[in-house]
Amino acid sequence: MGDFLTKLWDTAVVVVIAVAVSAAIWVGMNLIFNQVRDHWSRFTAAAYGACGFVVGALLSGNRITRGSVPGEGTWDTIGSWLWLPLLSGVVAGLVGWLLGRVDARPARLAIGVGGLGAVGLFSGAWVSDAWIPEFAAVPLIVWTAIGAAAGAAASLVRRRPAAGAAMIGAAAGWLVGAWAAPDLGVGGSRAWSAVTLAVPAVLVGLRMALRPLPTLTERSVFDQKTRAAVFIGPALIFIFATLIVPTVQTILLSFKDRASEEWVRLANYETIVNDRKSIDVDGWSNIFTSRLLWLGVALLVVFAVLGVLGARRTGHAVELGSASMGPLIAGGFFVSLAVFTSLRGTIVNNIWWVVVVTLFSTGLGLAIAVLADGAPFERVAKSFIFMPMAISLVGASVIWRFMYVARDASKEQTGVMNAIWIGLGRLSTGREVAGTLVFAVVALSGLGAAIGAAARRRWARSATLVVATALAVTVVSVLWAALSPGGVRVAVGLVLTASFAGLLTLVVKPLVRGDHTKAFAPGLIAVLLGWFLLRYWQIVGDGLGGQRPNSSGETISDPIFFIQDGPFNNMWLMVVLIWIQTGFAMVILSAAIKAVPEELLEAARVDGATASQIFWRVTLPQISTTIGVVVTTLIVLVMKVYDIVKVMTNGNFDTEVLANSMFREAFLNLDRGLGAALAVLIFVSVLPIMYLNIRRMQREA
Amino acid sequence: MKRNWKKPVLAIMALSLVAAACGGDDDDSAPADTEAEAPAATTAAPAPSGGTITVTGPERDESEAGSLQEVLGAWGEANGVEVVYLGSADWEAEVNTQVEGGNPPDISIFPQPGKLADFARAGYVVALNDEAAAAAAANWSEAWTVFGNVDGVQYGVPVKSDLKSLVWYQPARFAAAGYAVPTTFAEFTALIDQMVADGGPKPLCVGIESGQATGWSYTDWVEDMVLRQHGADVYDQWVSHEIPFNDPRIVESMQTVLDLWNEDTVFASSGTIAATAFQDNGQPLVDGDCFMHRQASFYSAFIPEGTAFADGSEGAVDVFYFPDINGDKPVLGAGTLAAAFNARPEVHALLAYMATPDYAMARQKAQQALKGGGAALSGFLSAVKGQDPSVYQPLEQSMLNVLETAAIVRFDASDLMPADVGAGTFWTEGTSAVNGDITAQEAADTIEASWPTG
Repeated sequence: MGDFLTKLWDTAVVVVIAVAVSAAIWVGMNLIFNQVRDHWSRFTAAAYGACGFVVGALLSGNRITRGSVPGEGTWDTIGSWLWLPLLSGVVAGLVGWLLGRVDARPARLAIGVGGLGAVGLFSGAWVSDAWIPEFAAVPLIVWTAIGAAAGAAASLVRRRPAAGAAMIGAAAGWLVGAWAAPDLGVGGSRAWSAVTLAVPAVLVGLRMALRPLPTLTERSVFDQKTRAAVFIGPALIFIFATLIVPTVQTILLSFKDRASEEWVRLANYETIVNDRKSIDVDGWSNIFTSRLLWLGVALLVVFAVLGVLGARRTGHAVELGSASMGPLIAGGFFVSLAVFTSLRGTIVNNIWWVVVVTLFSTGLGLAIAVLADGAPFERVAKSFIFMPMAISLVGASVIWRFMYVARDASKEQTGVMNAIWIGLGRLSTGREVAGTLVFAVVALSGLGAAIGAAARRRWARSATLVVATALAVTVVSVLWAALSPGGVRVAVGLVLTASFAGLLTLVVKPLVRGDHTKAFAPGLIAVLLGWFLLRYWQIVGDGLGGQRPNSSGETISDPIFFIQDGPFNNMWLMVVLIWIQTGFAMVILSAAIKAVPEELLEAARVDGATASQIFWRVTLPQISTTIGVVVTTLIVLVMKVYDIVKVMTNGNFDTEVLANSMFREAFLNLDRGLGAALAVLIFVSVLPIMYLNIRRMQREA
Repeated sequence: MKRNWKKPVLAIMALSLVAAACGGDDDDSAPADTEAEAPAATTAAPAPSGGTITVTGPERDESEAGSLQEVLGAWGEANGVEVVYLGSADWEAEVNTQVEGGNPPDISIFPQPGKLADFARAGYVVALNDEAAAAAAANWSEAWTVFGNVDGVQYGVPVKSDLKSLVWYQPARFAAAGYAVPTTFAEFTALIDQMVADGGPKPLCVGIESGQATGWSYTDWVEDMVLRQHGADVYDQWVSHEIPFNDPRIVESMQTVLDLWNEDTVFASSGTIAATAFQDNGQPLVDGDCFMHRQASFYSAFIPEGTAFADGSEGAVDVFYFPDINGDKPVLGAGTLAAAFNARPEVHALLAYMATPDYAMARQKAQQALKGGGAALSGFLSAVKGQDPSVYQPLEQSMLNVLETAAIVRFDASDLMPADVGAGTFWTEGTSAVNGDITAQEAADTIEASWPTG
């Protein structure tokens, strides 16, 4: 406990210091820029001083100058490196103050060149041995020329005098050529290192001194123009340091070898492309033997037939909500599954994730948002569906791993999915009774009705229902016990068959009316239940799964290894993300649906549109932008998927994805080049989506 | 010349960023320099008291981590520093991240000499100071210290020893079914066939799941088979990559293990071998779901609490030597090494202590107490010289005896190979092969391709 409090305290202190420093910088910058209009020299003094301090801190803090080594105590440490930034800050501040007052050009030149030059000369002379550069004339001249030319060119493009920018450019170029390009710490002279730093300082001083004192008007304009910079500057610097610099670094690292020492050009990318683990197309011929492909093709044929019929009637083979749309999407989906299960590898897995998770999360989210809209249980239902969003991806993965757990065939299953699967198998083969299921159904439906009555404040009825439920469970359990296993099988089967018949009428009725949307949901359930019943009555195969004969012929449990059996284990992992993200899609889309103007819907209704026509022709087009937002957000999220794979399989069993592969290479195998290349690959594949997102945001703004 | 005043500010910022960029570049290329500089400054200073020493390692079981904390903490109390032990299932990944992030622990306990060597060559771990190196040399035979020695410099002290060529079983159950302990590999396979034919419990419990390290149990089996089928010389060539990983002899050993494991011979408590956690094999062994479990000496830590060991009672668990083929009795061993990430004198003083028999005996006592005391096995074993053998249970003493007297002792191959292989593809490809996704040949080819060049 004490340990925890200490950590809490430490964290709190760090947070307070970070906030305080940020606030101080921001307030300080505002205070400095407040001086621009009326106290010019104060402003220049503060600005020069701050810049001098920052440059000094960069030199001293990075241990480029001598003497700045960590001491034993906090004050020793600070004292050892703080004096140089303080000194350079004070001198630069003094220079700034004078430049802000003195108007005569010779005096300005003396102050600027002399003051800043002295700071540069001193810092350069104080550089530690390891940082002293060698003298190399060629890079020095080349880089200085490049810098000067770049500065001049930038000014000329903006139709400004070129000399000033050329000086600044030359200063930067000089620094690169004299310091960054040659070898360091191998016997350059201290005099040269002093010159190295003095020359750019002199150039900057010269540039500043050549600028005359601004008039009041100029200062006012400057004051106004800089306000935006003051406000946005800290954010830009922060983004630059935490986003742009790491991105560029990563891209550079991806062209280097595993220890980031030598340039290897595209070798890391070649490794990725040539690795059988990334893209394995050996199984391409399996696409054509896959049953999924033929199922997909069959659906596409249905689409073609429906499309031709539809085109004859409306002139369009496919449109939103037409009968041909369902087979088209389902057919395309199954064909893509055939491809994904035949071509294997990390990259294929990633694409598979993107397709399935995006499609299902958005589709389910939209369906729930539409169907629940205006229903009495809307709020409760949506809260429940949204709840998984509150669970961390790691937590959700752990939960689902327990759901998928399989136990040895001789033991009872402890994972929910396998318990149901094995239970169904036993039920449909009449070997054992899954009475619990029936009791649960009776008890839950009774209690549900009781709660419903209570919600409508019919207390007496609710109480009666509770009692009746208890009675019903007792009666059912007595009857159940009296039935033979075969009898149970028939009883359950008859109930299910009756429900199937009921469902069929629900499908046929709206179809006769031509209302395809209404027929869709019951139709889907009917297809699934129909398949279930075919298996249940053993018309196809011998009973529902979960059973198989062993080597000596007796029937034993046959659990599914959701996590281990490829390639569909990938789909079972995706279920976790769909489970989480459906809530996200639902909330966003639900808000969009509610924002559709009532007048539009009213007008459609007056024109005699059916509910499904209103949805497909009015609501959907109205919320298409939001769907776009949801889809792009999901794609970006899914491209980066890492936690689920890491926790559930750690990339074993052919479930590897790019992000986990990147982590493995960069942090386990310590192959930074390959890790960076994988990171760049993810980054690049997300870029187009980000571009679309940003462009839409700008259009909306 | 109006409204141009923001330029100077930007220009100076650009300059400072250029300076920062130069700084960044050379920082990367010379981490060893700064590492070497900083300690040099601190060794001169007197040892401060009241600091904290953080020790990390992969041992996270209650008894393992608990005894480590207890013993190290006691040393810290006596020497005026706080010692904290942090065990983690994902130690392999975490220590890399910590080191890369410039925030390493003071000491880590390495189960893999290969990884320690990688770290030593990269300049992350520092060489032992004279005191610690002397303690290691004085208390351990060279057969063990050599694994902490990288290019002639001693970086790690051995702190724990494991005997891997063991099969756990229940003698009473064997007697009841009329089985005899096999003494040759042929007898071993014949016994498995017999058990399958008898239709009782499965012969073997196997599970290779272990989080980040899934697959290591399979590599242990393969190593034992390489030693048995092809001898110590081939084993050494295999470890040092003088023969390729996909050499037909290695593939043969990989295949032998895969052939031994099938639906009829293996009880996997989570359904498949690849899904069953390696810790989850003790319970079914005691429950009688299987007859045998081949696993290292430390596995006693995973045998359910309250189980008796080798005392002849009903339900007691014992071990027999995983039988050999050519009569040369090779033994597969393993162990952990502690190494330091900085040169603080108190850190190296702790390492020196960890190399002593005092440490081993204290840890044995603490871990044994945490496992319930009495006649319980601790799961800890140390081949350090000068221990009082009475701190170990008779079964543990016999294991130590095997380690000390065996003519051929070889360290766990996967722990000696480069991390890319030994803690990477050998595990992952092995897992795929066990799961039946690829063949042994395909696995060996992929592992060979992943062996780092240069």
